[in-house]
Amino acid sequence: MLRLLLVPAILAALAAGAVIWSGGTAGSDRADFAFINRGDNKCLDPNQMSWMQDIRIAYALWEGLYTLDPVTLKPILGCADRAQADPQTHTVWTLHIRPDARWSNGEAVTARDFLFAWRRFLETPGEYTYLHFYIRGARQYAAAYADYVKSAQSGVAARRPDFSIVAEQALDDRTLRVTLADPIPFFPALCAFPSFFPLNEKSMAPFAHTDPLTGVTTYDQAFTRPPNLVSNGPYRMAEWTFKRRMRLAASQYYWDRAHVKSRVIDQISADDPLAAFRAYERGEVDWLANVDNAPDLAADLLAKGGRGDLHVFTAFGTYFYTFNCLPTLPDGRKNPLADVRVRQALSMAIDKEPIVREAARLGQPVAATYIPPGVFDDYVSPPGLPYDVAAAARLLADAGYPAGRGFPRLTILYNNEGVHGDVAQIISRQWLRNLGIETALEGVEIKIFGARLYNQQYDIARASWYGDYDDPSTFTDKYLSDAENNEAKWSNARYDQLCAEAQKEVDAHRRLQLLSQAEHLLLQDAPILPLYHYVNGYMFRDNVKGIPLAPSAMQMFKAIEVIR
Amino acid sequence: MVKFIAWRIAQLPLILAAIYLITFLLVWVAPGSPFMPGGERKLDPTVEKMLKEQFHAQSLGAFLRYYPARALRGDLGPSMYYNGWSVNDVLRYSLPVSVALGLFAMVIATVAGCGIGVLAAMRRDSLLDYASLAVALVGISLPGFVVAGILLAIFCDHLHWLPSSGWGTLRQMILPGVALALMPMAYIARLMRVSMLDTLGNDYIRTARAKGLARAAVVWKHAFRNAFLPVFTYLGPAAAYAMTGSFVIETVFNIPGLGQHFVNGVKNRDQTLILGTVLVYAAVLLTLNLLVDIGYALIDPRIDVTAKSPNA
Amino acid sequence: MTLATLNPLAGQRLWQRVLSDRRVSIGGGILLLLLTVCLLSLPWTRDARGDLFYDRQHANASLLPPQTHQLWLLLGSTKLGTSLLGQCLIGGVISLTIGVAAAAISLVLGVAVGVLAGYHGGWIDSLLMRIVDILYALPYILMVILLKLALEPLLLRLWLSTAAANLVVLFLSIGLVSWLTMARVIRGQVLSLRTLPFIEAARAAGAGPLRIFLRHLLPNLVGPIAVYATLTVPQAILQESLLSFLGIGIQKPLPTWGSLASDGLTLALNPIWSRWWLLVFPCTLLGVTLLALNFIGDGLRDVLDPKREGAKI
Repeated sequence: MLRLLLVPAILAALAAGAVIWSGGTAGSDRADFAFINRGDNKCLDPNQMSWMQDIRIAYALWEGLYTLDPVTLKPILGCADRAQADPQTHTVWTLHIRPDARWSNGEAVTARDFLFAWRRFLETPGEYTYLHFYIRGARQYAAAYADYVKSAQSGVAARRPDFSIVAEQALDDRTLRVTLADPIPFFPALCAFPSFFPLNEKSMAPFAHTDPLTGVTTYDQAFTRPPNLVSNGPYRMAEWTFKRRMRLAASQYYWDRAHVKSRVIDQISADDPLAAFRAYERGEVDWLANVDNAPDLAADLLAKGGRGDLHVFTAFGTYFYTFNCLPTLPDGRKNPLADVRVRQALSMAIDKEPIVREAARLGQPVAATYIPPGVFDDYVSPPGLPYDVAAAARLLADAGYPAGRGFPRLTILYNNEGVHGDVAQIISRQWLRNLGIETALEGVEIKIFGARLYNQQYDIARASWYGDYDDPSTFTDKYLSDAENNEAKWSNARYDQLCAEAQKEVDAHRRLQLLSQAEHLLLQDAPILPLYHYVNGYMFRDNVKGIPLAPSAMQMFKAIEVIR
Repeated sequence: MVKFIAWRIAQLPLILAAIYLITFLLVWVAPGSPFMPGGERKLDPTVEKMLKEQFHAQSLGAFLRYYPARALRGDLGPSMYYNGWSVNDVLRYSLPVSVALGLFAMVIATVAGCGIGVLAAMRRDSLLDYASLAVALVGISLPGFVVAGILLAIFCDHLHWLPSSGWGTLRQMILPGVALALMPMAYIARLMRVSMLDTLGNDYIRTARAKGLARAAVVWKHAFRNAFLPVFTYLGPAAAYAMTGSFVIETVFNIPGLGQHFVNGVKNRDQTLILGTVLVYAAVLLTLNLLVDIGYALIDPRIDVTAKSPNA
Repeated sequence: MTLATLNPLAGQRLWQRVLSDRRVSIGGGILLLLLTVCLLSLPWTRDARGDLFYDRQHANASLLPPQTHQLWLLLGSTKLGTSLLGQCLIGGVISLTIGVAAAAISLVLGVAVGVLAGYHGGWIDSLLMRIVDILYALPYILMVILLKLALEPLLLRLWLSTAAANLVVLFLSIGLVSWLTMARVIRGQVLSLRTLPFIEAARAAGAGPLRIFLRHLLPNLVGPIAVYATLTVPQAILQESLLSFLGIGIQKPLPTWGSLASDGLTLALNPIWSRWWLLVFPCTLLGVTLLALNFIGDGLRDVLDPKREGAKI
């Protein structure tokens, strides 16, 4: 009998041992500021970074020549203390790095550190490489370099292109000269974006791997983990335990260290929205940065009269449906969506109110336009297509499908997450009710979704877009004929021309007008069906200061503090 | 006996190799690329090519030339999704958590499962029998996410007795431990009941009773020990299940364990991480089964394990 | 060998014995009742114009609590204003279909492998059993997901409708990972049956393997097959609910009990405002059904197979 009791006793003893082995009892000290981000960090190499949670952290770790004002999030001087464009062409920028700019290991930040990071974008492209194409010669260099790599990979002897065709030079250790292709007004905003942050090549060298065939150097991302990471921002990476927490500590070398409010910041991992909410309610974290990801919880808080610590505000993004505009469908049938009248009919037959009320549930503004109105100063949004079932039915009849007769059965593709399934269900029912069109639903995994979306293996798909920088072109660029991200394969010469003209225009007002005309064209031609504009949802209590409620959902960690 | 153990140990690498290969093939044919960012943006083809080369995943052959040899030396390679983390790193952080929680759950499952099983067997076909079995069977009659969610709603949201989530303290382990224990507990209770009934029907028990021994003494001294043996064989697979973590429980209770990788690994097409977790799982399972077989022989020397049909 | 008594002549007595087990009769009764209600209501839950239609999105009816004055609101409404009653009814049909179909697949595979290995013996036996050993050591959930991912595009190419392909993929991926226990049990039974005199006699009389299998082996395997099939159905239903929780289960707008439970989870357990009905009703139905199936399986085992070999469940 006693021998049998041994089994649970041994198990219990082993369990106790394993708890200690798992580091369970360590690390309960509370940081000055703790928060739960939008999800796990995916990549902290600015070269490959694109997820919002990573960009958030990047602003704590690095600093560009410009940085963002903690309150307005407009670009202000950061790692540079002086910068000016030439008054004639507005294209030649001279930027002076502050003398006291330091890396987290104490070394001075130099112009070379910037050029290293920028050049890397053109040679090993990331998702934001196109932002560098505003610099004269960058696009050509990237294309030539890609050609070079391709021929080198296939064993053909090729010559590396000459980097000097890119108009980026270091005049001295602390001065950069950059010449833009066009007089874009948002160059400071670009400089403040992670794609323009400097990198410390020396600290990355141990992680470098140079391909013997092409000579291309890639880096093992382990350089972004403590203690390897050397960064130049207000914080340095102090600790990163997998799926538990990331600890940022104020950098002792940061030039503006006197104004860094919280000394230690913890990012706590929590995948489940309810788990995150419970941690917040128990005071384990000060800020929930993604309650909009779990609409049900936040919606019920709102429905119950709201709470002082729940903040829901306009975001920098739009949720929409996209129509495959190619002449044939993936299965080889003739594509009815290639007809503009069909796209308009489908767009005008959707009542967007129930989508927001029943599926999205956070009071998102119903979208008539692609670019969220009001997020860009002075930008006048064009009118979109109205909700008009009668007109939609007429358009559909004109296209040869009176009351939906003879219309092929199309499929709505979405990824099996969040509210996408509910939205698809509502839209499918509305098309059936209002136009007599039957659609099938196909929810797939995100990886399959992405692959199919960008290979036009869909009829109709859910889509969304978030702006990256403070200019409408961050939206309009997506539907240029040759744009990588143009999943609808919609092509309109007039649209391309309007966008190109806007790029060259020096007059800010005229420029926005051109972009507005382009958006108008996009909405009338209806390759996309805007449904609603996103909102951001935060939870933080009154004693947390310094988190701006900005559409871009960004913040400067150095300005955040918790008054205790 | 020694020969038997040696033979079993000799088989381990072969089985592991087969498992590695099967998993790899399935992962390789699954559509979707590990390097494709989710959803909204397209991945540049040249970048994808470079990434594939960096991870030695440009072709089936390249992968098999690079990774298995390293795995033999204990290096499972870099994770394809968690940039900058090696699979070894990921496992080092997650495995201990799952092992601790799993062992804790096994204590609960064994004690409660045996208790319920014996109780049900002693009152065969009574209301108590069915009621206690029904309680035990909750673990395999309701989805884990529902049970875990309800436990949290009751003990954390309404009663405020226990913390909701996270890892580190014993109090944080109670709810997830119970939730994780429910499934093995159901099977143990079931096994225990059946095997107890079989044992109680045996002649020597009847003899003992006839000799005037108290019912409780008979049950505990004589019947239980023998009836426990089938449960003991089940402990191997059950512990392997519990100690390699559960996606549902780790998600609901926010525990940084191993179980999440079985699902997220596939979701992210993190080929190296999937292979790593599968190897760990299989190794744990096979080792535990071996230990159980050895233990079986120790508990009951009459049993010749070598004659038994192989039992995973 | 208790099972040897299980010949067709004893059928009458056997049924009586099975039904006299209270677990079997109560569980069977509950199951039959649920199944009847779900099936008989199909004309209403599939009528696109009816209130109970599973995809009828009533206007301004999001998340209404249960009320008795309207039938379609008896169990409340879902987020999109569909009737939870209608969804639960049709969800039951789909859940049970998936459970039975997946169990059938695992049964066919398990019996085939088990009989082949047990009857043929020798290297085929060793090979098949080593394969089973290896598959046993693969994590179940990972295999289900991987199978689903790998099979889905294949079937979509064969099938016309995405909904049908989705259902078949669900059966297959769950069924293909659930046959291992069945194969082992059947092999054990066949091994012991093979040496019994009546099989020897049949073989000596020149009966072919197929005939021996159909006439002599199969009738004696009915017991364990019935037991394990009954126990595989609830497991398969549970697997489907897990897949729904992971977002790769049944394709909307069709519901299953599991997908209803996972959809309702955050709304019902949310500490701010609990929409309890979204979880309580589907879960009660699911739980009662699975409990009934488990009870039937246990009861069958006690009656048909009191001295089982080994201890696998």
